[in-house]
Amino acid sequence: MIEVLALTKLYGGFEAVRDLTFTVADGEVLGVVGPNGAGKTTTIRTIAGIIAPTSGTIRVSGYDIQTESVAAKSGLAFLPDEPHLFEYLTVEEHLLFVGRLYGVADTRERIGPLLAELELDAKRRALPGELSRGMKQKLAIACGLLHRPTALLFDEPLTGLDPVGIRRMKETITRRASEGAAVLLSSHLLHLVEEICTRVLVMQRGHLIALGTVTEIVDARPELAGLSLENLFLTLVGGHAT
Amino acid sequence: MTLGFGLLLLWTFVGHRRGPVPDSGAGLAHYRELLTAAGAAWALAWTWIFGAERAALAFSPAEVAFLLPAPIRRRSLIQFKLLHAQGRILGNTLLWTLLLSANSFGAHAWMRAVAAWVLLSTLSLHRLGASFVRHSLWEHGAAGFRRRIPTLIVLAGVASLVIAIAAQDLPALVQASRGGGLALLAALNSASERPLPALLLFPFRVLVRPIVAHDISSWARALGPALLVLLAHFVWVLRSDTAFEEAAAEESFRRASAAMGGTAAALPAPGAQLSGPPFLLAATGWPATAIYWKNLIAAARARRIRNTVLAAGGTAALLAFLSIRRTGPLPSIIGALAATWAALSLVMGPQWVRNDLRTDLARLELLRSYPLRGAAIVAAETAAAATVLTAVQVMLIVFAYSATLGDPGMELTLAGRTALLAGAVVVLPFVNYAGLLLQNGAALLYPAWVRIGPGRSTGVEGLGQNMLGMLAYAVALLVMLLVPGGAAVGVWLVLRPIAAGAAVVAAIGAGVGLLAVESWLLVRPLGRVFERIDITAAGISRD
Repeated sequence: MIEVLALTKLYGGFEAVRDLTFTVADGEVLGVVGPNGAGKTTTIRTIAGIIAPTSGTIRVSGYDIQTESVAAKSGLAFLPDEPHLFEYLTVEEHLLFVGRLYGVADTRERIGPLLAELELDAKRRALPGELSRGMKQKLAIACGLLHRPTALLFDEPLTGLDPVGIRRMKETITRRASEGAAVLLSSHLLHLVEEICTRVLVMQRGHLIALGTVTEIVDARPELAGLSLENLFLTLVGGHAT
Repeated sequence: MTLGFGLLLLWTFVGHRRGPVPDSGAGLAHYRELLTAAGAAWALAWTWIFGAERAALAFSPAEVAFLLPAPIRRRSLIQFKLLHAQGRILGNTLLWTLLLSANSFGAHAWMRAVAAWVLLSTLSLHRLGASFVRHSLWEHGAAGFRRRIPTLIVLAGVASLVIAIAAQDLPALVQASRGGGLALLAALNSASERPLPALLLFPFRVLVRPIVAHDISSWARALGPALLVLLAHFVWVLRSDTAFEEAAAEESFRRASAAMGGTAAALPAPGAQLSGPPFLLAATGWPATAIYWKNLIAAARARRIRNTVLAAGGTAALLAFLSIRRTGPLPSIIGALAATWAALSLVMGPQWVRNDLRTDLARLELLRSYPLRGAAIVAAETAAAATVLTAVQVMLIVFAYSATLGDPGMELTLAGRTALLAGAVVVLPFVNYAGLLLQNGAALLYPAWVRIGPGRSTGVEGLGQNMLGMLAYAVALLVMLLVPGGAAVGVWLVLRPIAAGAAVVAAIGAGVGLLAVESWLLVRPLGRVFERIDITAAGISRD
C-alpha cells in the first residue's frame, strides 16, 4: 500500500505540490493525470524517496519513506520514463547489481526466466549501448521487478515503446497489480489510464482536482456525465471538451 | 601517448643542456632529428595499437540533428571538422613554440611555429585516418578489410620492417646501453642509418626536419617535403568520407551517452570482448558492496585504464629485467620518475580517478531510489575510487622497486626498499580513502564547483578551477593527516628505543587507525548530506 498524507513540495516560493492526500491499495492501479507542470513527476519522485517533501507523510508498505527509508524502498520499484542504466554494466550485471542491492537471495536463478520473459536472454552480455530503446526499457523493468516489489511507481511507462512493447508493458502492470502490488502510474495517455487503471487522480498546478473511479468523479460532478475520460479530463483542467 | 612524445622532445632538449656531447652541435642536431622522429613514430604506433583519439570526430547533439541529415556533402563535413580541430592544434602549436628552445630547435619563433603546426596537423590527421581504418575493420569485417587493403598492405609492411629491425639490432642495442645513455644513443643512430630502419624512419624524419632545422635555408628545404606528407594525409583522410560519417555518428553517440551520466566515451566499442567483473558478487551481504563492484567494473572497462594496465605490466617486467642485467642508467631514471609520480599522485590522483560520486551524482535520482543509507553509498563510492588509485600508485612504486632491483648504489638497502613497498601498500589505501572522501564531500557540498559526471573540467576556466580545487584539497588533506601523522610519529619515538622494527609497525598501525576513524566520522555527515541534497536546487539532475 502507498499512503500519501498532506504532501506539499515547495521550490522556493513555487508550489510544485500542495496538500496532496491519497492512498493506493494493494492490487490497485492508480493513474495520475494532469497537464504539463501539474506536479505528477514531483509526486512520484517524492514517493520514491528521491526528493524530500517540504511537509506531509508518505508511507510505503507501512514504512515512512523519510524516517524508515531503507525498509520503505526495499519493497518499492521506481520506473522512470527514461531508463536509467549504467553504460558499463552488461544486462546480466545490471540484474546482479540490483539483486545485491535488494538482497534477492535467488538472483541468479531468477535472471534466466526474467530475461526470457522480457525477450532479453540473447542480450545477456550486451552493454546498454548495444540495446534498442525498447530493450533498455525492458531491462529497466527487469531491474525493477527482480526483487518482487509490493509497490510500483511508473512515470510515463509507454514512452518510446513499440506496439508489442506497449502491449507487454500493460500486461506487466496489470499482472503485478493482480498479484497484489500497489501500482501508481503517471501518464499523458488517457486511453492507457482508462484501460488499466482502477482509479484516477487528476492534478493541476500541484493541486488535486479529482480522485476516484470515473463513476465516482461523475457522481461528484453530475455535469460531467456522459463524457469520455479525455473530455472529462479537459473539462476538469479547464481545457475545452468537444 | 602525447605525453610520451612530449617527454621525448623535452629529453632531447634537456640532454643538450646537461650532458657532455660526443660531437659538435651538428651531431646533436642529428640525434634530435632521430629522437623526435622516433617519438612521432611511437606516438602513431600507439594510435594504431591502442586506438585513436577521436575528439575531432565528435559532433554536438545539435550538429548531429542539423548537419548529418542536411544536404551537405560528407567531404564538406570532414572539412568542417578538420577546420574545427585547428583550434586545438593552433593552441598546441603556440605551446610547443614557447617550450622548444631556440638553441636546440629552430632559431626563430616563427620557424618553430610553422614546423610545429605542420607536425601536429599531420599527427592529428594520421590519428583521424587511423581511427577510420580501425572503425571500418571493426564495423564491416571482411568488407571493411577489402576496402582498406592498400592501407593494410602498408601497415603489414611497416610491421614486418619493425620485426626485422628488432631481430637484427636489439642485441647490439642492449649491449650498447651498458655503456650509458650516450653510447645507446650512438648505437641507435648508427642502427637507424642502415637501409631498413632508414626506410622506416624516412617519413618521420621528413616530418620533423623543419622543427630541428637551425637556419632558414635548411628549414625552407625541409618544409616542402613535410608539407607534402601533410598533404598526403589530408587526401587520405578526405577520401575516407563514408567511414567518417559512420565513425563520427558513433563517436557523437558515445559522447552524448557520456554526457548523460555514463562513461561511454571511455568504453570498449559495441561487440568488443569485455573484461570480466573484478570479483563474483554474492547475492546477499552488505548491499553497498554492489556499488563498489559496479564502480570497479566502470574503471576496468574504461579503455584508457585497460591500456595503462597493459602497458604498465610490460614496463615493470622490462624494468626488472634491465635492472637485473645492469644494462645502463635507463631503469634508474624511469624508476625515479615512477617514484615521483607515485608521490605526486597523492595530491593529483584524486582529481584523475573519478569512478565515485563525482561521476555517479549525475545519476542521483537512481542512487536515491536504492534501499541504502546515504552513508553506505558515500562509503562504497569512495572505496571504489580509492581502490583504483591505490592500484595505480602501487603499480608505480613496483616500477620504482623493479627498476632498482639490481642497483647496488642505492642508499636504502633492498630489504629497506621492500619494507617501504610493504608499508606503502598498507598506508596508501587509508590515505587515498581519506583524500577521496574529501573530493566526494566537495562534490556533495559544492556541486557547482566540482565537475559532475564523467570526464574532467577542461579549457582555461577548467584549468583554473582544477588548480584552485587541488590547492584546497591539498590543504584539507594535510589538516586531515595532522593528527594521524602526529600520532604515528609519537608512537615511533616512544617505541623506537625498545624495538625499532616493532615501532615502525605500531606507528603505521596508529596512523592508519586514526585516519580510519577520521574517515568514518566524515562518512556519516556526508551520508546525511547525500540524503538531503536537493537535486533540482543543486542543478545536478539530468531530468
